[in-house]
Amino acid sequence: MDNTTVITVLILIVVLPIIITPIIFYSSRVSEKLRNGLAVVTTAITFLLTLSLYPTIARGGVVQHTLFEILPNLEISLRLDVLSFCLAVLSSFIWFLCTVYSIDYMAKEHATSRYYPVLIFTLGSCQGIFFAGDLFSLFVFFELMSLIAYILVIHEETEEALKAGYKYLVMTIIGGLALFFGIIIIFELGGTVSLGAGEIIQESSLLALLAFICFLIGFGMKAGMFPLHVWLPDAHPVAPSPASALLSGIMLKTGAYGLMRVIFDVFSPELLQSSGWDKILGALAVITILLGSAVALTQIDIKRRLAYSSISQLGYVLLGLSVLNNNAVIGAVFHIFSHAFMKSTLFLAAGSIIYMTGKRRIDEFQGIGRQMPVTMGCFSIAALAMIGIPPLNGFLSKWTLALGCLDAQMPFYVLVLLISSLLNALYYLPIMIPAFFELPGGSNPSGHNNHHDIKLKIKEASPRMLSAMIILALCTFFFGLTPNNIVYALSRLAAAFLLLGGTL
Amino acid sequence: MGFADHFPALIVVVLFIAAFVSPLLFRWVEKATAPFVIAALVAALIMTTALLVRVQQSGPVLYHMGGWAPPWGIEFKADLLRIFILLIVISVSLWIFIYAVRDLKHELKKEVTGWYYTLFALLVGSMTGMALTNDLFNLFVLMEICAIAACAIISIKEDRECLEASFKYLILSAMGTGCFLLGVAMLYMATGYLNYSLLQLELVETLTLYPRNIFAAAALFIVAFGTKAALFPLHVWLPDAHASAPSPSSAMLSGLVIKIYAFALFLIFYQVFPRELLDLIPLNEIILWLASLGTMFGSIYAMLQTDLKKMLAYSSIGQIGYIFMGIGFDHNLALIGGFYHIMVHAVTKAMLFMVAGVIIYSTGVRQIKDLAGIGRVLPLTMLAFTIGSASMIGIPGTGGLISKWYLSLSALEIGRPFFVLIILASSLLNAIYYMPIVISAFMHQEDFQFKVKPVPFFMQAALVVGMFFIVIFGIFSKPVVTLLEQAVISLF
Repeated sequence: MDNTTVITVLILIVVLPIIITPIIFYSSRVSEKLRNGLAVVTTAITFLLTLSLYPTIARGGVVQHTLFEILPNLEISLRLDVLSFCLAVLSSFIWFLCTVYSIDYMAKEHATSRYYPVLIFTLGSCQGIFFAGDLFSLFVFFELMSLIAYILVIHEETEEALKAGYKYLVMTIIGGLALFFGIIIIFELGGTVSLGAGEIIQESSLLALLAFICFLIGFGMKAGMFPLHVWLPDAHPVAPSPASALLSGIMLKTGAYGLMRVIFDVFSPELLQSSGWDKILGALAVITILLGSAVALTQIDIKRRLAYSSISQLGYVLLGLSVLNNNAVIGAVFHIFSHAFMKSTLFLAAGSIIYMTGKRRIDEFQGIGRQMPVTMGCFSIAALAMIGIPPLNGFLSKWTLALGCLDAQMPFYVLVLLISSLLNALYYLPIMIPAFFELPGGSNPSGHNNHHDIKLKIKEASPRMLSAMIILALCTFFFGLTPNNIVYALSRLAAAFLLLGGTL
Repeated sequence: MGFADHFPALIVVVLFIAAFVSPLLFRWVEKATAPFVIAALVAALIMTTALLVRVQQSGPVLYHMGGWAPPWGIEFKADLLRIFILLIVISVSLWIFIYAVRDLKHELKKEVTGWYYTLFALLVGSMTGMALTNDLFNLFVLMEICAIAACAIISIKEDRECLEASFKYLILSAMGTGCFLLGVAMLYMATGYLNYSLLQLELVETLTLYPRNIFAAAALFIVAFGTKAALFPLHVWLPDAHASAPSPSSAMLSGLVIKIYAFALFLIFYQVFPRELLDLIPLNEIILWLASLGTMFGSIYAMLQTDLKKMLAYSSIGQIGYIFMGIGFDHNLALIGGFYHIMVHAVTKAMLFMVAGVIIYSTGVRQIKDLAGIGRVLPLTMLAFTIGSASMIGIPGTGGLISKWYLSLSALEIGRPFFVLIILASSLLNAIYYMPIVISAFMHQEDFQFKVKPVPFFMQAALVVGMFFIVIFGIFSKPVVTLLEQAVISLF
């Protein structure tokens, strides 16, 4: 593909979902089937279009294009490089599966005529974040996505949801203002905010540090970094399950993506290391990892436990970014993929359980594995991946991260990773074991004479919901089997690209 | 002199003529009155556009009333900045007027509608005059016309609250004009001129001879225009006046009238007082701090309000703070931000008052807590409110962000990041009081509990126009900013 085609495709990827949104909104008045079909087709087209950029990426292409200028020297621009491709492909893929899943999941729900347009619009703005060519466009799409996702968060419209939503909204605004401050400082110091300009800030100064902290606040808030994570455990669980899967699986990553862009394209790894700012990120990452896992242990609600687990998992990515060597960055990028697959599976499986049985509390989960073997099977695969059992992808990302930490002479970080894996095991296994080995109602099967006689009716969710989960669970498996897979290769490419300063 | 050379004067004259003819017309051919005023506004708009083209081609246009050159005659001056303000004043007035025609049928008694048109045209005419004039005494006269017209369009509703509010406004505004006149007298005493350009030349010399006179004049001007433009802490009249007036009047007053005084103060500081004055007394520091306090306190007061229009009025106090900040930073980027904010806030706040007007027209509700669930019955209206709030907060994609961008950039440029924090903090405060209204309007669980009348087409269309422009200002802002850059560059 030549550059003009690539640019057209880029524009299409961002704009198509956004212009389809009103069509989807009005089509729900005609028929629900048409609307659902349109939503699925839009996400599928977005995914295929994103995928079609692969040849350009494979030959190491970087495309930067200015659409128009908002202000002198401040433009809306698009950029395609390997990192943006990685995240865009991941997000559109998971979006597609979650939309397919939504069709049956949301059939019982109210206000679906609002849910689907919002879902598709968020996809467009999310792709916009990943394909933004400068910090300002990134900021615009970031705010757009965050604000629109509010409607997904409060979908249930219960008091709890509204409260969580308000917290989310206030944090989003604070994060947005911090980003605004950061961007304006960069613009003032460097005269440009383009991501294609290379290292804009070359020497450390008080203002530059202030900008770095602002970015940490703005993007770290989205990524659930301690101490700005407070909104996340409230906001993610109250959303409908497919939306939680997207919030935790993809939208959380936009924060990590933003930080990557800031670290590699605005500042530079050398600057961060020489001025010691990577230590700030490292310390926060360690606290985030341990705190997220520890608090997840205490949660009884399945979705809240998953949300806290997301906090800790994003901590891994931040840890990789603070170590800043080749293996660590590969690990960080690969973990973005891994966590997206794992956490979406977990949320979708939890959603199916809630949808079929209405149970949300973990102590009610006895025997669910017998009623819903496929769902619980997918859940278990993803949970084992979270713990880091080989040959699942969670293992591979932890392995690579640990290698990176050792390369940087930081065995302490490896210890943190191990402790967190232990904690993961402590809070995921108590979900899985009773689900498979106990009977509903909490009685222990060994107390019965012959528990194999007790037949439980298999009550699985619909094939559409199952297939979404199964595909994601298979990804968890396949992309962890050996390091010779496409996702790992992409992560390596991205890491090499980032560390060499975008000169690949 | 050709016809086109008289445009600077004709813009004002056309509007004054419309003011005087409309009550007569209202008596004879009632239906033709509103179109007549609209025609006058459109004519003024066309002339301003023609003037803009001319100024862009051949520089500022000077117009001498009756052919008498200053210092004897009155001089009008049309440069890019003044035309920018003129364009905002006239087009926003036109927009508000189209909305007002329907809304007034509901809010006013029929007999006074003709008079309302008069007052409206007088108000617009005096504002255009204030933007154009290059003569201090002429400014004084136009300020008086403006003040009286503004008082009258508040009190025209004739209920107790309006009368009280407009009386308060009248007293404080008279105090303001008194201070202004005193200041003018002091300058005249020291220099013997009233014309801006002549004064500026003369003041450079006089500053060393009569510094006290000039300091006193500067202080008086700050008080005078601070009162009129509701600069904190001289804002006390504004909330009552803007909240109790009929909604189109509130839109005019909050959207345009307070800004024209801010602009007048700007002209006096930049085109009358010499730059040397700033070395002697830190005028811009004073304005900057008052403006910063205003942005914070306006928002804090707004949070405490229970009445929707009162809340919007207090929010204006916060927003005018941004415009004064633009003047106070004394930097060209800040001026761009300040002027951009004049435009954005004129459209945004006028639209928000229109939303309040539509809500009152359709449901009769004024209390914020009663708005819960209203988004379901008036979706378009509340969408307009949402976009207006977004612009107030400064969400990307709306005009509010651009003005904040320039203000913050200039704060960094002069090495005072502290003021960026103030701008951000006040944005956050804006978010805190605007967002709950939006959320409860759309997301409230129970249904809206009041009866709803259908909203007329023109009122809805006005809201759509407002939303459109707020988004356009946020995305395609470059042409306006380029125009402002050209305009501001001549000042430094």
